[in-house]
Amino acid sequence: MFAYAIRRILGALPTLIALAVISFFMMRVAPGGPFSGNRRVPDEIRANVERAFHLDEPLWMQFGRWVWGVLHFDFGPSMKYRDYNVSELIAIGLPTSLEVGIWAMIVSTLIGLALGIAGALRRNTSIDYAAGALAMVGLAIPIFVIGPVLQLTLGLELRWLPIAGWDGSWPFKILPIITLSLPGIAYVSRLMRASMIETMRSNYVRTARAKGIGARRTIIRHALRGAIMPVVAYLGPATAITITGSIVIEQIFQIPGIGRYFVEGATGRDYPLVMGVTIFYGAIVIGANLLTDLVRSWLDPKVSYE
Amino acid sequence: MLLRKFAFVASTTVLLLLGACGEEKKNEQAAAEQAAPTASNVAETAPSTTNETQTASAVPATTSKVSEGTVLNRGIGATIGTLDPHINFLAWEGWVLDDLYEGLVANDAGGAVIPGAAEKWDISDDGLTYTFHLRDGLTWSNGDKLTAQDFVDGIIRTISPETASDKAYIFTSTIRVAGAQGLVDGKSKDPASVGISAPDERTVVLKLDAPAPHTLFVLGSFYAPPLHKPSLEKFGKDFIKPGNIVSNGAYTLTENVPQSQVTLGKNPAYWDAANVKIDKVVYRVTEDDSTAVKLWRAGELDTTADIPTAQIDPLKEEFGDQVHISASTETNYMSFNISKPPFDNIKLRQALSMAIDRDTLVNKVVKGGYVVNYGYVVPIPGYPAPQVAEATMSKEDRIAKAKALYAEAGFGPDKPVSLTIESSNNDAYKKQAETIAVMWKQVLGVDAKVNAQDRDGWLAAFNSGGWDVFNDNLIGDFPGPETYLAYMDPRADVGYGWKSPEFEAAFDKAMPITDQAERWKVLAEAEKALLDYYLTAPIASSPNRHLIAKKLQGWVDNPADVHPTRFMSVAP
Repeated sequence: MFAYAIRRILGALPTLIALAVISFFMMRVAPGGPFSGNRRVPDEIRANVERAFHLDEPLWMQFGRWVWGVLHFDFGPSMKYRDYNVSELIAIGLPTSLEVGIWAMIVSTLIGLALGIAGALRRNTSIDYAAGALAMVGLAIPIFVIGPVLQLTLGLELRWLPIAGWDGSWPFKILPIITLSLPGIAYVSRLMRASMIETMRSNYVRTARAKGIGARRTIIRHALRGAIMPVVAYLGPATAITITGSIVIEQIFQIPGIGRYFVEGATGRDYPLVMGVTIFYGAIVIGANLLTDLVRSWLDPKVSYE
Repeated sequence: MLLRKFAFVASTTVLLLLGACGEEKKNEQAAAEQAAPTASNVAETAPSTTNETQTASAVPATTSKVSEGTVLNRGIGATIGTLDPHINFLAWEGWVLDDLYEGLVANDAGGAVIPGAAEKWDISDDGLTYTFHLRDGLTWSNGDKLTAQDFVDGIIRTISPETASDKAYIFTSTIRVAGAQGLVDGKSKDPASVGISAPDERTVVLKLDAPAPHTLFVLGSFYAPPLHKPSLEKFGKDFIKPGNIVSNGAYTLTENVPQSQVTLGKNPAYWDAANVKIDKVVYRVTEDDSTAVKLWRAGELDTTADIPTAQIDPLKEEFGDQVHISASTETNYMSFNISKPPFDNIKLRQALSMAIDRDTLVNKVVKGGYVVNYGYVVPIPGYPAPQVAEATMSKEDRIAKAKALYAEAGFGPDKPVSLTIESSNNDAYKKQAETIAVMWKQVLGVDAKVNAQDRDGWLAAFNSGGWDVFNDNLIGDFPGPETYLAYMDPRADVGYGWKSPEFEAAFDKAMPITDQAERWKVLAEAEKALLDYYLTAPIASSPNRHLIAKKLQGWVDNPADVHPTRFMSVAP
């Protein structure tokens, strides 16, 4: 497994390099620059700014300089957040994004699995209908609607939870985590329900039942292990997306996470910030997919490391 | 076995989560009660003066369990790019800067110039030399002596090319400090060649190339803060970080969390600290205006940076005079690219301007407190603002004249003008551009499209020079016509490429005049030349929009949107 993981990581390098090259040059194609303004900056000042950020060098040299920096874990200075380096910004924002994202994934997985299993085992009962209705809500209503509704009800009207902000304590985490986990709950529950129903109809489950193995044992020992595979396959990319894709949540709940840097970096043409976050996200996505494959292999011996 | 393990983990986690929710819910209820703007609550948070060095992580007011003196929670809107006092340039960064630093002069609650670090000043008869006399015994927040040289160093650092500050133009263009342009251009490397000096520890002398009655306004802390050189030399660019920063204003920086909040504590070394009533200021980043309104309604914010335009009317009904809409220094207009046919035809530009129904556009579509403006400069008390011809025409006459001019320019139903309006994707601007495009289509048959993009793309479109019509705006540096007209001066090389001997003559004639009334009268002639040229179609002036909690006292609306915390208090 170790060799497999190493091979996968090495195999990811070309992907990361392609991501870096494409992102770097696409950023430079976008109109505008990091120091665009409607007042003309004196030439001498503009030249000094460009020199300070090496924007006066040829593109290939800038790219080489950036790659050299990344190899030394230096993502360069931020052009918009001029008091910070990109590495500092990522170090400040990442723990917050990770915390919200990981908790949202845990909640999505646990509740989604529970609802999916319950729905599959109690088909066409009130439990199944309730789980289905929740899934519909989670899938149909976007989080930029759910978030403000929760803010209004639980925050403003009932005053149970803070509306927005972040100090790292649990009251500030609950609404973002609920909002971010709802689509995941919906998706996991639907995936698990369908997979469980299919598995329960499979020959090996029927054989187990025919042999007189009890229902509970059949589900635990045989059905669940097979039924959970599609969910595991989904969880890897979903985790990466949840951790890196909570930009809207960070905006609505004013969370100082890493996602907003990506948007602000892109709109402000902060090249080093966008590049730093992009590579970081790329690494997270690749890592999450690798982890998924390893878990799948562990759960199902038929899935080969090769 | 697997299911059992899963069930155990799931149930334990859910129980833990629910437990946490329940516990924190109680805490939150208590905190919400504590934060509610009630008389009893305020009475409990009596002022104290010993929280200046607090460096704990962000703790918004709702979770405060212990009284920490009077706290003001201000919504700041966008995140802070930099707190470097000689670089930061954005309005919301200026609010923080006004609390952290004090310039030679300061602004009172209403934005008027008052003595700051300088207790008095003399202006020479020709309006070219300003001599400032500093207060006795001024110190920095760390106890170091504050001297006249610190103010000289601050301005020199701002205009030095290596600082790469956007604010440098303030000293070369907004006010023309003698020798400043040479340092900016790199023609001189000697700071002594700049017309600012400190003949002794308590005197700052500023020499200008041309009189500028607005000089005092730009010598406040936002534009001209002093520099504590030892901390810059010791920490480099980190000299403005909490723990390193040394400031001379009413507050000091205790915390700066990017994208989240900036926290300031009262500066006991400030010369007027005894009259500073608020002990702690929390500037909270509130990029989403709707969320900011919810926070304000919940009492978690005392002020907001803005109000979503669609919510202004309902909020006014519910909260009355806590909704503050007031004039600002921002002017909005459509610029025509006169270097590109057919916009080099003044009749077409005039027709397009006349076809805009500004009343409908501003009062029924954009709303949000925008005020129709038929001039380029925003309305300023005392300034005899000229207007474009259509200002006094009826709607029917205006449309008939627009159609006639359009035809005279050689266009009509068989030969319509095709154009693209470059706009930023800001809601109000985009709506404005789209409405004008429809009006041009309906009145003249113009084939108008809107290209809305983010701010940098929008500015890049302007700088490329290939645009047709630019949905333009300018925020004045101070409430005076000079800031707007200097920007439009054909010699300013901003990029409009127009020629106007009338404008230049009037502008040059006004510059040496030191009497403000006479000066503004001549400047109005320059603006008239601009309006007659129809280089732009003026549209509206933008408002400042804030929600201000009743308990907050001392907030005074003003066009510059300057609101130093030191003049505010929280009502008992």
